[in-house]
Amino acid sequence: MKLWKKLMTIGFVLTLIVMAGCSSDSEGESGDVVTLTFSDFHSEGDQEFFEGLVDEYNKMQDEVKIEYTTTGNLTDYSNTKLPVAFANNEGPDIFMTSPGDFQKYADAGVLADLSPYFKEGVKEDFLPSALEAVTVDDKILALPFELELLGLYYNKTMLEEANLEVPKTWDELLAAAKKLTTDDVAGIALPTDKGAYLNFVWYPFLWQNGGSVLNEDGTKSTFNTPEVAEALDIWGSFFQEGAAPSKLQIDPTDIGNLGGGTAAMQIVGTWAIPMLESEYADGDEFGLAPIPIPEGGKHATAAGGWKFAVNAKSEHVKEAADFIMWAVGDDKERPLEYVTETKFAYAPRQSVVEEGKEFYDKGLRKVFTEEIYDSAIPEPKFGAEVVDAVGEALQNVMFGGMSGKEAAKIADEKIQSILDSKK
Amino acid sequence: MKRMKKNRRKRNEVLTAYGFLLPNLVGLTVFVFFPMIYAFYVSLHDWNALSPKVFIGFDNYVEMASDKRWWASVGRTFLFTLIYVPALYCLSLFFAVILNNLKQKYQSIARTMFLLPFAITSVISAVIWMFLYDPRNGVLNQLLSSLGFDKLEFLGSTNQALVSIVVVILWINIGYNMIIFMASIKEIPKDYYEAAKIDGASAWRAFRSITFPLLRGTSTFILIVTMIASFTVFDQIMVMTSGGPASSTEVSVLYIYKQAFEFLNMGYASALAVILFLIIFILSLAQLRLYTKKG
Amino acid sequence: MKLRKSTITIFAIVCGLLMLAPIYFLVVGAFKTPDSVFDLSLRISDFTFDNIKQVFAETNIVRAIFNSLIVSVTVTVVAMLIHAMAGYALARLNFPGKTFTFGWIISTLMVPFSVIMIPLYMVVQNLGMANSYLGLIVPMIFNAYGIFLFRQFYLEFPKELEEAAYVEGLSIAGTFFRLVLPLSKPIIVPLTIGFFTANWNNYLWPMIINQKEELNVVQVALANIVGGGYETEWSVMLAAALISAIPTFILFFIVQRHLVEGVKTTGIK
Repeated sequence: MKLWKKLMTIGFVLTLIVMAGCSSDSEGESGDVVTLTFSDFHSEGDQEFFEGLVDEYNKMQDEVKIEYTTTGNLTDYSNTKLPVAFANNEGPDIFMTSPGDFQKYADAGVLADLSPYFKEGVKEDFLPSALEAVTVDDKILALPFELELLGLYYNKTMLEEANLEVPKTWDELLAAAKKLTTDDVAGIALPTDKGAYLNFVWYPFLWQNGGSVLNEDGTKSTFNTPEVAEALDIWGSFFQEGAAPSKLQIDPTDIGNLGGGTAAMQIVGTWAIPMLESEYADGDEFGLAPIPIPEGGKHATAAGGWKFAVNAKSEHVKEAADFIMWAVGDDKERPLEYVTETKFAYAPRQSVVEEGKEFYDKGLRKVFTEEIYDSAIPEPKFGAEVVDAVGEALQNVMFGGMSGKEAAKIADEKIQSILDSKK
Repeated sequence: MKRMKKNRRKRNEVLTAYGFLLPNLVGLTVFVFFPMIYAFYVSLHDWNALSPKVFIGFDNYVEMASDKRWWASVGRTFLFTLIYVPALYCLSLFFAVILNNLKQKYQSIARTMFLLPFAITSVISAVIWMFLYDPRNGVLNQLLSSLGFDKLEFLGSTNQALVSIVVVILWINIGYNMIIFMASIKEIPKDYYEAAKIDGASAWRAFRSITFPLLRGTSTFILIVTMIASFTVFDQIMVMTSGGPASSTEVSVLYIYKQAFEFLNMGYASALAVILFLIIFILSLAQLRLYTKKG
Repeated sequence: MKLRKSTITIFAIVCGLLMLAPIYFLVVGAFKTPDSVFDLSLRISDFTFDNIKQVFAETNIVRAIFNSLIVSVTVTVVAMLIHAMAGYALARLNFPGKTFTFGWIISTLMVPFSVIMIPLYMVVQNLGMANSYLGLIVPMIFNAYGIFLFRQFYLEFPKELEEAAYVEGLSIAGTFFRLVLPLSKPIIVPLTIGFFTANWNNYLWPMIINQKEELNVVQVALANIVGGGYETEWSVMLAAALISAIPTFILFFIVQRHLVEGVKTTGIK
């Protein structure tokens, strides 16, 4: 009796609270203001930057109001939140896309063509390769605002103590990684989990060796070649010989692996530099070099980065496109602030890079600018299943005890069957 | 007169039963059953979630038959269940009996200790254990090497990853299941044990002939629920290994999730889900049969 | 005999301590500086409140805890009530279609959540419950697990009590609410823990169904810190984890006393 009464009271009170919570959420939309939703995944400093953009835009005009939300978490954003929203026709007006998922949105026709919305001369200002990476059938389906390159970061002291030169070839890299491995320190920190990032870090090895995943027009798999097999094998050796840990305590995108002293070398992107400077600023403790190449190979690095996209099914494509053009496709200040102050990356616009010239020579950035930038190849925009098949091949050589040749053959068949079924 | 009263009672009973069940029947229909039917409907389509569905009949089911990766994931799910369910059952029952023998004061302390892991989210528990399992300087390996053993790779090894995950999920759930067992043990009248004691039965004997048989209902419940849970296990694996290394922990739900949300093959993923549902359904039914027959 | 009892006690406490060991690392890590978090030794110089402060500074965690409390408590209370009713009907009352109803309810247990996520979103959206407390609460109430456990409990519940009540002229519903439900504490208490914890820790559903920042629940708010941002300090992550677990710990200690109490059936059997 008593318990029952108590339950009723609690239930009643909570119902009231819930009702109150519900009734307060219907602040009606006023008149002819267009409301756009902008769904993002960035957190911390990046989030502040995008929030700032939205605030500024909302304040400077009164026809469009943008509502910004962020998941703060990338996996949930691209693998849960966006698909669920799109599947229910509730997709945001503005969102972010990366090479890893660009293709699936492009195939489904939810990316609006942005070509008509470029301001005079801006299209020409973009790096051709950066726009090419987001162009399908002459339509520009996303707007890049950052180019992130990969490099080999290393701990100078550890290399010196082991009497090692900075590795320049694959063999030297493997030998150095083995020599630097101790009970407490990993020779080299590389991504271990399957996913777009694992492939992204591996692509430079593939390209340096002259390999590729697909042929030029993307209709045939070119994965079953000795070049691919060798690039797989070198990765396999890092893990099989214990020079790269099979599991990282810190995310592989996080320079904390190197900075915190648990790894002697780490392949990671431009974004690591501000972090290295602010959190691990022990003077000249850390160095940076291009990713080592195979004998007779040529330098290559992968250029990734996020892009703005507009939902083609939105009722307000124009307004949404106008906003992103204003944000990163108009003046130089806003995009420059993002790639220099908020984080470190290259802008995909020549004029912005020019504007930030002195900045790009600061500290380790100089290595990227002078030694790595020219060898950058945009991350390819494969469908998710191809990305997965490549990832499986890597996992097989890293942990499954397979040779590069076997893994390449299996993946080749898989990729070809994926391509055939998409026709 | 008496008969009429009985009939009225009967009608009353039926009405009360329906009344008691109504909120749940409505809720389960709207929020579980309908979505499930919808998943079946989707499974008959080619759908990438972004563009309109295309009806393709049972093509997805035909494709599944030759999907090696799917059947490998089903095999892995069975393996996981075969390790996890008996382990959870035995350990939680074991500790329930042990704790039940303690003095009230110690009992409540030990109970809290066992239950606390249950408070921690699956994501966080995964994070803590990744720290313990770290192959270089994780706590477990520090312990192993100080005892003179070789270090283990745990989550980084294709042989050890699945078992390592089982340990984490056991760690979370033992306490809770233990408590459910303890509640049932408390229901067993004390005089049964006293009678056994007088007969000179050993503790093991008493357990086997009194406790164990009388826990049949609770056991059935825990076994079925645990089996279903282990067939749908997802969170911890997603966080700790996302199916790796080299697919060695890719269980069925993880593969379904990948098909649905990574590859956006919603139709195909729904077909896989329907089959997984059927597998679980048949197994649960078989289990229920087994227990009711014996009893 | 005495000696054996103390051996068992020691054994149980040691096992309990082993269970606690991972939590020890959670608590200790939450108060360590980022650089010393992997270091197993305890030094006073490593002790810091910065992680905790950072969590409070970077997330609106107070509001999120409030939201989570509303959601978890409402779900738990409503679920306990209606699941007990359903469990009782399935265990004790006779009505046409009983076996089928039970089987049907149990079958809903076998659906992995990630599979019905999209249709469920659709349903909730169409009911106009998205972006509100209702959308966070209502779909989480319905769960066959609770019904199953209540049914199991009532199957073993002593019949004599109810029979006595019927003789006194109480209706079936009256008997249930006045007599049976208050005596159901042994099952309500663990289930309360189960439901509250599950909902407190729920992340996926609140993340997709709610876009409003002011309605963010704790786990979603914490994902901003714990999730894959560019800078994620382990110590801050552990601090966030600790804060998010505290309300559940408190609940455990409150209901601890009521855990594992048998139904008081003295004098009947």
